[in-house]
Amino acid sequence: MEAVLAMVYRASRFGALFGGVLIFLSALLLGVDVVIRKTLNTTIGGADELAGYALATGSALAFGFALFERTHVRIDTLYGLFSVRLKMVLDLLGVIAILVFFYPVTRHAYAVLEQSAVSRTRSLSQLGTPLVVPQAIWVAGLGAFLLIALLLLARAGLAFFAGDSNTVFRLIGPRGALEELEQEIGNVQKVSEEKEVRP
Amino acid sequence: MMILVAFTVLMGLLALAIPVAAAMGILALVLAYLYSPLPLILAAGEITWSASTSFILSAVPFFVLLGEILLRSGIAERMYAALTHWVSWLPGGLMHSNIAACAMFAATSGSSVATAATIGTVAVEQIEKNKYHEPLFLGSLASGGTLGILIPPSINLIVYGVLTETSIPQLYLAGFIPGLLLAALFSLTILFACMLRPAWGGVPFKTNWAARWRSLPDLVPPIVIFLLVVGSIYAGLATPTEAAGMGVIGGLVIAGMKKRLSFAMLRDCLEGTMKTSAMIVAIVVGAYFLNFVITNIGLTQKVNSTITELGLSPQMTLLAIIIFYLVLGCFMETLSMMVATVPITATIMVNMGYDSVWYGILIVVLIETAMITPPVGINLYVIQGLRKRGHLHEVMAGATPFVVTLLMMIGLLVLFPGLALWLPRIMSGR
Repeated sequence: MEAVLAMVYRASRFGALFGGVLIFLSALLLGVDVVIRKTLNTTIGGADELAGYALATGSALAFGFALFERTHVRIDTLYGLFSVRLKMVLDLLGVIAILVFFYPVTRHAYAVLEQSAVSRTRSLSQLGTPLVVPQAIWVAGLGAFLLIALLLLARAGLAFFAGDSNTVFRLIGPRGALEELEQEIGNVQKVSEEKEVRP
Repeated sequence: MMILVAFTVLMGLLALAIPVAAAMGILALVLAYLYSPLPLILAAGEITWSASTSFILSAVPFFVLLGEILLRSGIAERMYAALTHWVSWLPGGLMHSNIAACAMFAATSGSSVATAATIGTVAVEQIEKNKYHEPLFLGSLASGGTLGILIPPSINLIVYGVLTETSIPQLYLAGFIPGLLLAALFSLTILFACMLRPAWGGVPFKTNWAARWRSLPDLVPPIVIFLLVVGSIYAGLATPTEAAGMGVIGGLVIAGMKKRLSFAMLRDCLEGTMKTSAMIVAIVVGAYFLNFVITNIGLTQKVNSTITELGLSPQMTLLAIIIFYLVLGCFMETLSMMVATVPITATIMVNMGYDSVWYGILIVVLIETAMITPPVGINLYVIQGLRKRGHLHEVMAGATPFVVTLLMMIGLLVLFPGLALWLPRIMSGR
């Protein structure tokens, strides 16, 4: 099971990076579009529409990765006061809550995709994008998010019944503010150290 | 009754540490089930699609990405050193550089955590070298960092604009004067503290005019980013989202010139961006669906009529809302607090005749306060995490005078709404 988890983690990270590249490219496209619009008086056309698709597909592809990385915000003010057992129960409930809301969202997102496919909907713009394309990636991202939530729930559930609180917290515990910042700060310090080496 | 159910369910779910996005979604499902004859869930797909393809909202990941790039570009060290030559002759020395550097970085960054972390990293090593009063020094960094979301660009103002359908360029304009005023007030706070306790001000910093002029080129990179991102909006060249795209390009060029650009660096930037953006979009999706349900079951009107029945005057309502946010801000993560509450409170305030641009700025200043009030104040943790010694209590103590300053700022905004509204008014000629 650990091997499956590790594999899915790598896949989700790849998905998030792919989404990041989409967003990165759309930022470049928009920036360049402004410049050529003013200097050459012409436009790439549709850059804004593509930015919207990049946001929807990119973020849906990253939902699962964010779940692995435990960056979906939870208010842990009271949580910190609870017993280990209760904390584990709340962690499991948190994942179940994600499934409870995002399962219907994904199901109806799929209905939107189906509708676009059946009626061959194109966007009302000069691009005339067949909506099936971005919507298919978007639904795939949402579906992967649900699968990751299920997988984490199953693994953490097993750990819960085995009384293995470390594994539960490592997989689905809230990311304490300090833990998150250590990473952020690690990034900054990595940069300053590099600077010291390279005068 | 409906209001009570909604409030209790939301607070209950959040207190149980249910992820905020799911908490809002589930509240929406519960409300729809209890109070609507229609299967509102059928709209969830369509709503999620339209919320997450919003062109305005796509500025958010761009600004997050710009922040990630600037953080790794190394512009902060040089900028901090340059500003030190200009402002640290004041009693309080480098603490004024902390505020000035935060204000300047805020003009390129849309996030308070990024601002506090970037400037904090450069500044903390100065405490021992120059014998500053450590708590006040740390407090100046935690509170200076909060300027990140008030001085444009600002991620929180974009989210506010999207939720309340308020113009982002107007909100950005409205943030300028309060942002600069707040930076000045922070500096005054340091000045007063150091005049009362001269020992807090550390070793005086020596400089001369030649050094000052020599330092100026180091201020160019942040100014270029600011002009690209904010200047292009008001020159009529670009929408806020396009401007954010230009900022990303500018950030890449600067990082490239400083030889910090690499494939690995870019991958780290994108990974960080996606983690943050996915979290924000998930919350926005939950909030959009919740808003749709709330509007459909008539909850917003209910809240409005309840307030009218209570006979609260606009001033009393405003006071109640300010106190509500100050209290909630002590315990709740700020973006979630804003997304979960603003759709309702903004409707109330606009109905009472307050301007939604002004209210956006007020909310941002309240959020800034929330970021440095214990027990949950994200910027306190940022600064404590950076120095890696001592106790969090020292940062909290040092931030206290600045909390008072922020309360004064809130008072000023209430008494003089023109602080926020004057600039958007003359720029748009309304």
